[in-house]
Amino acid sequence: MRVTLLIAWREFMENVKTKGFWIGVLLVPIVFFLIFHISSRLATATPTRYFMLIDQSGEYGGAVATAISREHQRQVMQEFMRYLQANRVDMGGAPPPQAPANQLDQLMDDFGNDEVSALDDWLSNGGLDMALQMARPYLREDAPPFTPPRRQFIAIDPPVDLDTSAPPQTIVEYMRPYLNGERRLQHDGTAVPLFALILVPANVAGDVVRPDSLERLMLSDGTPTGVQYWAANLTDTRLSNAIQGSLNNTIRQQEFAAQGIDIQAVRDIQRTRLPLSRLDPGKQLGEAEVSMADTFRQWAPMGFVYLIFISLMQSVQYLLSNTIEEKSNRIIEVLLASVTPGELMMGKLLGIGATGITTILAWITSFFVFLQLYQTVETAAIVQILDVLLSSDLIPYFVFYYLCCYALYAGIFLAIGSLCNTLKEAQSLIMPLIMILIVPVLTMSFIAQDPNGTMARVMSWIPLFTPFTMMNRAAAQPPMVDVVGTTIVLVLTTIAVLWLSGRIFRQGILRTGQPPRIVEVWRMLRRRRV
Amino acid sequence: MSTPVLTLENVTKRYGDFTAVDQINLSIPQGSVYGFLGPNGAGKTTTIRMILDIIRPDTGHIDVLGHRSAMDVRHRIGYLPEEKGLYKKMKVWAIISYFATLKGMSRSAARHKAFELLERYGLKDFAESSIESLSKGMGQKVQVLASIAHEPELVILDEPFSGLDPVNQEVLEQLIKDLSANGQTVIFSTHIMQHAERLCQRLLLITQGRKVFDGTVSEAHAIIPRRVVLETRGDIHSVRQLDGVLSVQEQPPDDGSARANGTRQWELYVKEQADPQQILQHCFENGVSLSRFDFTQASLHDVFVHLVGKEAREHNFR
Repeated sequence: MRVTLLIAWREFMENVKTKGFWIGVLLVPIVFFLIFHISSRLATATPTRYFMLIDQSGEYGGAVATAISREHQRQVMQEFMRYLQANRVDMGGAPPPQAPANQLDQLMDDFGNDEVSALDDWLSNGGLDMALQMARPYLREDAPPFTPPRRQFIAIDPPVDLDTSAPPQTIVEYMRPYLNGERRLQHDGTAVPLFALILVPANVAGDVVRPDSLERLMLSDGTPTGVQYWAANLTDTRLSNAIQGSLNNTIRQQEFAAQGIDIQAVRDIQRTRLPLSRLDPGKQLGEAEVSMADTFRQWAPMGFVYLIFISLMQSVQYLLSNTIEEKSNRIIEVLLASVTPGELMMGKLLGIGATGITTILAWITSFFVFLQLYQTVETAAIVQILDVLLSSDLIPYFVFYYLCCYALYAGIFLAIGSLCNTLKEAQSLIMPLIMILIVPVLTMSFIAQDPNGTMARVMSWIPLFTPFTMMNRAAAQPPMVDVVGTTIVLVLTTIAVLWLSGRIFRQGILRTGQPPRIVEVWRMLRRRRV
Repeated sequence: MSTPVLTLENVTKRYGDFTAVDQINLSIPQGSVYGFLGPNGAGKTTTIRMILDIIRPDTGHIDVLGHRSAMDVRHRIGYLPEEKGLYKKMKVWAIISYFATLKGMSRSAARHKAFELLERYGLKDFAESSIESLSKGMGQKVQVLASIAHEPELVILDEPFSGLDPVNQEVLEQLIKDLSANGQTVIFSTHIMQHAERLCQRLLLITQGRKVFDGTVSEAHAIIPRRVVLETRGDIHSVRQLDGVLSVQEQPPDDGSARANGTRQWELYVKEQADPQQILQHCFENGVSLSRFDFTQASLHDVFVHLVGKEAREHNFR
């Protein structure tokens, strides 16, 4: 035992001293932080888009302009809500009252449930100025002033020499170089690229689609119908979506008016809703409401599966390279004159296992440090979620499955390492295992969606997948027979694998030359002693 | 001497059809320096590995320090394998200390011993260097120190001299003498006969897995009869009749041509106890004028070549 610990300690220290280890430890939190930081900044970082509106119908241009203005207001509102959440006077954790006490609560409630009607409210109530005035009494004293986001879509006039009443075809032909980015338009004295051309043809009213006009639509000859939205960038769909929504809204209001229906009544009806409470049968009534944290808890196992996978991949690297170093440097012979192969193998397992655990602990620590240093609305939510997570039973599952998974795979990889003289030889041998390891990662999200389905249950009983799949299912209260049964199979398999690996290790470690064929490995497993 | 430190009885090891070690018997007394000699592929390393219980013999018994398996007494054995290698990233003192702790020494004692050895054998300045910064020869010296740091009773060194420069070979010879003076038993294998001649009390010579000689150095010398080389123009017929002379052979000139002055060279094998002086006197008395008279003791090298020469040559050219 003393010797095993000595070997483990040396393995651990040698790994921890390498640059690669620290790069691995630091890189993950840094990448995590960067992704978080960039994605939260990205929304405001998109460049200003310039669009051109040519309305030949004289009827729908207003709707398009409204759509764009609404899109901007929506962003102002979103930003304001975020500002409000961050700077509102703390209510002392009291749950929001059932009936909103004031307009501000009403607005926030709407915002959470129905963004479209919240936006209607926002606009009809005077937008940002009104909201700021409303919110002022509820803001913390040290709250910074609110800065609304800048406009992302700016209208631009057509070039002077363009005849805006020409047929759409001609206009598009004329504008094509601008849309392709070959030419630029003048705006406030600077040349700017044109993002989109919105062309409302004169006869657009004839293209309105109604339930009885579907047949005509099917017979369309491929020429564009309705409003034409020309843009080279097809991925940023915010503008086109906003226009589409706004146009439909306008058309429908016209229809309502034509049918003699009160528009205000329609709006009120649209705001009517029946809430759907998502409840968890595993909890007492009264606290059964599925919160955001609960949802997170359902998905959290995927994070753990991923953590096991990444940590295992790192350990595999060390297991292989350290074993092969000893083999190719012939250190192994001195070692074997001092320790038994069993002690050597166990020492390696423990030492590299400790390396893996250190990495995970370092990641978790840096995650917490990150949450402390970088406090925003999003991270505050993560802290709450973490509290739920830490008080849940997922952690013991994770520890157990991590250790089993490590022991199971490390045994196999050590045996492979003992058979190879170079990493290159090892690479071809570990390829099938890596393929197997990828399966649980690929199926991770399917299993999270249907944690007690057939696929999940079948995979749970395959020992190589058990740690991943059962971890994946841990939050969904899998049947007791699965939990106990797969655990027994997993533990027995792990013991058997370690025992068999020990045999291969003992014989492989002194081997030189090519890695053995399957038949030889089989012989090694059967042979009692060298 | 007292009870043997190591005995091998009819030890055989086969790999498939190939017999690596064939029926070897050995007994090594305590405190001796014992040389394993033999051509490449003779089975020296296999024998050493079996002694250390890294591999098991197919048949036969091995007794090490009174135990059936070297693993039972591994803390009392030091081993330098034929193929040298150390952890590249570790510091010199740390690696000596690490191997000593694996052999049961406490950390502090092992560290202390590592520095002491490094100082004694001239590596003090490299104690804090990493192994990868050392030359091959220096790394080998470090590994020798690592194998003896725990003061083992039995030290087994497989080819310890290969790759060392003459100065360091002398340092290593001194180290082996120090060990022996300390009462520790040393077994080492080598190709270089001078080392064996200078250091060993006893020798084992194996070839193709079989023992061909086991005994003291002087016994080894006795295997090849002593030799007298004569060069003369005269007739040496009468010399043949002398009592101590075993055989006489004419040695053809190296280049195949006749010697310029018409002399012929003869090689006389003489009995162990024969006095070469007698031959010289006989020649003098019988008017055999000598242009050369050489009396040589057979070197260990000659013994080696004599015993395994043909096979070894075949091996080397294969």
